[in-house]
Amino acid sequence: MSYAYLFKYIIIGDTGVGKSCLLLQFTDKRFQPVHDLTIGVEFGARMITIDGKQIKLQIWDTAGQEAFRSITRSYYRGAAGALLVYDITRRETFNHLTTWLDDARQHSNSNMVIMLIGNKSDLESRREVKKEEGEAFAREHGLVFMETSAKTAANVEEAFINTAKEIYEKIQEGVFDINNEANGIKIGPQHSPTNPSLPGAGGAGGSQGSSCC
Amino acid sequence: MFSRFKNAVIGAVSGLETNGIPTPNDPHSYNKQTLAPKFLYGRPAFLNLSEDEVQMSADHRLRPIIHPSMSLPHHAGYAECVNAGKSKWNEDQAVYRQGVLTRVEYNDKQGVQKFSIPYTYYGIFDGHAGVGAALCAANQLHHILHEKLVDAQDDIWIAFSEKKRLKTKPSDLLITGALEAAFKEMDQVIAEDRTKYQAAGGCTALVALFILDKLFVANAGDSRAIICKDNKFTLMSMDFTPENERDRIRRLAEQQPNLLGQEFTSKEYVRPPKSSELGKTVMYRDAHMSGWAYKTLQVDDLKVSVITGQGKRSRVMGIIGVTRGFGDHDILSLYQRTPIKPFLSSHPEVQVHKITNVTENEVLVMGTDGLWDVVCGAKAAEVVAKSLNTFMEKERYVSAATCLVGSARGSLVNEHSWQLKDGKPSSADDISVFVIPLLPYKLEYEKLLGKYSETAESS
Ligand SMILES: Nc1nc2c(ncn2[C@@H]2O[C@H](COP(=O)(O)OP(=O)(O)OP(=O)(O)O)[C@@H](O)[C@H]2O)c(=O)[nH]1
Ligand SMILES: [Mg+2]
Repeated sequence: MSYAYLFKYIIIGDTGVGKSCLLLQFTDKRFQPVHDLTIGVEFGARMITIDGKQIKLQIWDTAGQEAFRSITRSYYRGAAGALLVYDITRRETFNHLTTWLDDARQHSNSNMVIMLIGNKSDLESRREVKKEEGEAFAREHGLVFMETSAKTAANVEEAFINTAKEIYEKIQEGVFDINNEANGIKIGPQHSPTNPSLPGAGGAGGSQGSSCC
Repeated sequence: MFSRFKNAVIGAVSGLETNGIPTPNDPHSYNKQTLAPKFLYGRPAFLNLSEDEVQMSADHRLRPIIHPSMSLPHHAGYAECVNAGKSKWNEDQAVYRQGVLTRVEYNDKQGVQKFSIPYTYYGIFDGHAGVGAALCAANQLHHILHEKLVDAQDDIWIAFSEKKRLKTKPSDLLITGALEAAFKEMDQVIAEDRTKYQAAGGCTALVALFILDKLFVANAGDSRAIICKDNKFTLMSMDFTPENERDRIRRLAEQQPNLLGQEFTSKEYVRPPKSSELGKTVMYRDAHMSGWAYKTLQVDDLKVSVITGQGKRSRVMGIIGVTRGFGDHDILSLYQRTPIKPFLSSHPEVQVHKITNVTENEVLVMGTDGLWDVVCGAKAAEVVAKSLNTFMEKERYVSAATCLVGSARGSLVNEHSWQLKDGKPSSADDISVFVIPLLPYKLEYEKLLGKYSETAESS
């Protein structure tokens, strides 16, 4: 499907905070109750509309597990937006935010829009981090803030779409150089003259001519 | 009928000629541009990537390390990443397959009985000069191998079921033979395809076959397999590079000097001789020699050694850095266009490993040279042991594969250079890795034994 822009996102934060669940809720409108540890990185994509324009979000869901930290660091580069996620029922995931933020700022381009997300808002009875604390952290570090629930889908759409709106505004203001793909923004195929294609795309089907099968 | 078909083909070719496309003497080089590739480019089928993801996987600046989203047999691990920009696409390919050898027997008491021997196959293929040969190997070699195994399945079955009174060759030799024959045929298929499909380039091949109580590792090229256990490792293959195959190639050159054209010599010199030294003595060695000796420099000695360079940079006829694998049928030396293929071989070295004593933390690691260029066996064993200790079974081997690729890929430190943690340059090549637990195959074999000892006793 054609799009006007493609924005690349990265989702970061401690293991188990619900990064993959947020992505799944956003792309598939489903909730996954068991924790499937993400290994390295996984990808997701969805089309949204902003200001009447089709925008494709390409989302890199990274592993929070410590063992993959050095690998996932290399994925910050070239992201236009980041969702920095903590779990409101586990204070230590909130305490680690500064480490994540330092990492992100160090390895990404300076214009990257960062959305702070306090996830699992449905678990009010087990809350360890007050909403006000999240807001204060976001204000202090110049981030956008939201509490979400990947389970009930509360604010999930908004988190992804508001981030895209911020990026879109920055484009309108001319902050982003949209001709440099390193910024995590790509102009859609119908807007750009070249469209990369696979080698041998002229052939017929995937398994054509396999003589021995 | 056949001759009419032939005429039609010739007509088509001469039609091209009149269109102004030259037809050189080489029958394989006409209309190469117009031929379609045999297999379309993609990443390994088991990765299940969308077309978008195939594009993303080829991002040379991010080099994402990707892994299968579904479990491989027994949670075996796989991970890969693209090169740092030396070629547009990832020229490595990988494949796994599970197959069964079936034997049907009939006797009056029990009627028709079916016996099945399952096997599991893993392959990695490192392509060069294009993606074609590696794609052919990843799509076809397992089919060819299956045919060879089926040819031998009665013998394999007899060897397995009637251990005490062997009437046939031991199954090790039958399976090794099937692998060897399949490798040869794969190379021939690629040779024959040259008139039908786009030029394929070449590739190395490393195959692991689990069948009965053994692991067979067949290798032709510079990919490598090791078995890791705790922090230790054992080599399961040797690398075939010009440097390591010096003896084979120089001997062939000595026996058939016509293969060297006018450009090359089978002799080696301590340093390249110069024409101003004609008539003087130089230190040399020939194919049959392990040491060095003196000779008087003659005009013939001014030719280039058939093997030059050291280590990673060693080359056959100045061109190719890997001496076994598939394809490369048309590669020629740079100046006098001497065919190089006669010096290359598709013959694999096959190592056999008994798996009846393996333990839970033992794994087979298969990697392309992108991994082994910067990660030694000991380091690999350490990375694997760490992942095995950290993760649960479902994630264990995929994590190990991911971390292995990560430890070879390093990270991008500025716009152009990838580095390891210690500041040394990391691997800029395509990197592909399998991490396969061995214990499940031992258990599978024991189950098979149990199943058939019952039927053997009752018959
Ligand atoms: N109640 C509730 N549970 C959630 C929510 N989001 C995620 N979870 C649960 O939290 C666990 C971890 O979720 P994941 O999305 O897999 O965590 P992750 O951040 O991707 O973890 P890593 O991949 O290891 O980095 C799972 O068991 C989810 O079911 C939520 O909003 N509410
Ligand atoms: Mg996850």
